[in-house]
Amino acid sequence: MTTTDAPQDLVSSDVVPVNLRKYFDNRGLTAADQLADGEFNIWFNSFPAEELPPPGSRTVLGGIPFLFPAPNHHHKDNFRCAGQWIELPPGRYDWIYLLAAAERRSEDPVYLHYADGSVDPEWLRVSDFWAETPARFGEQESLQCTRLHYPRHIQQRMGPAIWRTRVPVPRETELVALHLPDNSAIHIFAITLVQSGALA
Amino acid sequence: MSAPARVRLEGLASWRHDLVGCLWTSAATILDFYDVPALETLGAAWTFRHCPQDVRREEYYYPCPEGTSLYEAIAPYHPIRSVWHVPADAEEGWQQVRDQVADGTPVVVAVDNFYLPFRPAYQDVHTNHLSIVYGYDEQAGTVRVLDAVPPRFDGDIRIDELTAARNSANPELHERDMFFTNRPIANRWLEIELDAAAFPPFTLDTVRSTLRRNLQGFYAAPSEVEYLGIQGEQEYLASQASWLDKGEDIRDGLFLAAGAALANTALHAEWLALAGRQFYQPRLAELGRQVDRVAHHWSTIRIIANLVRTGEVSADRLRRRSERLVADHHQVLEEMADVLRTL
Repeated sequence: MTTTDAPQDLVSSDVVPVNLRKYFDNRGLTAADQLADGEFNIWFNSFPAEELPPPGSRTVLGGIPFLFPAPNHHHKDNFRCAGQWIELPPGRYDWIYLLAAAERRSEDPVYLHYADGSVDPEWLRVSDFWAETPARFGEQESLQCTRLHYPRHIQQRMGPAIWRTRVPVPRETELVALHLPDNSAIHIFAITLVQSGALA
Repeated sequence: MSAPARVRLEGLASWRHDLVGCLWTSAATILDFYDVPALETLGAAWTFRHCPQDVRREEYYYPCPEGTSLYEAIAPYHPIRSVWHVPADAEEGWQQVRDQVADGTPVVVAVDNFYLPFRPAYQDVHTNHLSIVYGYDEQAGTVRVLDAVPPRFDGDIRIDELTAARNSANPELHERDMFFTNRPIANRWLEIELDAAAFPPFTLDTVRSTLRRNLQGFYAAPSEVEYLGIQGEQEYLASQASWLDKGEDIRDGLFLAAGAALANTALHAEWLALAGRQFYQPRLAELGRQVDRVAHHWSTIRIIANLVRTGEVSADRLRRRSERLVADHHQVLEEMADVLRTL
């Protein structure tokens, strides 16, 4: 079963962005005239949409193409990890790349489910989105903003980050689903499945 | 003799760690000013303590046993203490801080960010925060402030702006005036007493004795007046889920407690990592990473604390997270005891 409806030019057999719109339950991106709609963190901050890729666009970050989130019909564009079960286009992937951000850094196991019934936990680790906070888990790429949206104003010189992080897929068999952790501090914007050969 | 009209102290350095707040950033700067290593001091003690009768609505909340000052609480193995001064009014508050700075002492002051133009909360959210004052120019009407909490600020603001921040009633006026409001700032400032020469050196012997003390603390006998040690941590977290089941509002108390535990745990993880590198002890570095795992649980508990109020997170989800935290914490303590045997 295929759950992605990403634009065809984004999909090949070895690089597969996953459409996450049905899981979105949080508004993390706002335009300058939508400040009050932001709810990314507990203080209702949000990322400035003008500084980020267009909604639904193909975004290549460090060589990895992502389907940058377009808001769903509830105007949500990311989700907090809450134990979601995410079905994937079956495939022999090597890496799960994510665009993610945490409210203070956090980590938890994510369960990888394979076609043969095997299940393995792997670590999902995401650094803090807050300004002036370097990557803690070795993330090399990020979408770095220069300002932060507050419900009543825009704070310049306060640049939050969405990190590109990754989870390994050690088994050389078909991966079919992810069972995400129940961790409210971790937000996910996008997922792309990658075979190593795709990066050569 | 009257204080000079203009003073700027040298040797103030900004310090920050991603899992701690203004209590620790300001304390680290003060320690560094006195040539005392910050992480070796602030990261040594690791404990769990929660005093239900002493939960203060402050960004710089940290549980203090009765008779123990704030700085003694965050650095209990080192010769340092602090005294809160509560001036009679704003004028006396400024005079006292000015005199301290004129005397060569940087001062940690309580402030409401609502009145500080360099804080994102300016004219928006009331809170109860700490900044460092280390200079002033009375002719220009300015004061020099260092604040390492993002967005980092090291510059001049008007004295009347600082005075407004220090003299604020810190009211709760809207839905984002959370956690740290409803506690007047009262022009408070911290006097810090330390004996730099008496600080213990950071050696492998110090690491051994520190680990031993921390383990003893976690396995200490239960207290009737506070939640203490690993058993206290388990009971405290279980109590929060139970109270939530009964419809109690646990948000603010749990948020404050989790923030304090998070900072303490994260700094100890960093301290262990430092010890591992400095003394070529990979097991200490690994132990530090395991302690970091406990810190990451606290990151999540802190966010859960806010989400329980809206029903976004249930008591059962809080309970499950708490149980994982305590289980991982037990495992770390067992590992710590084993490392100590071989160190």
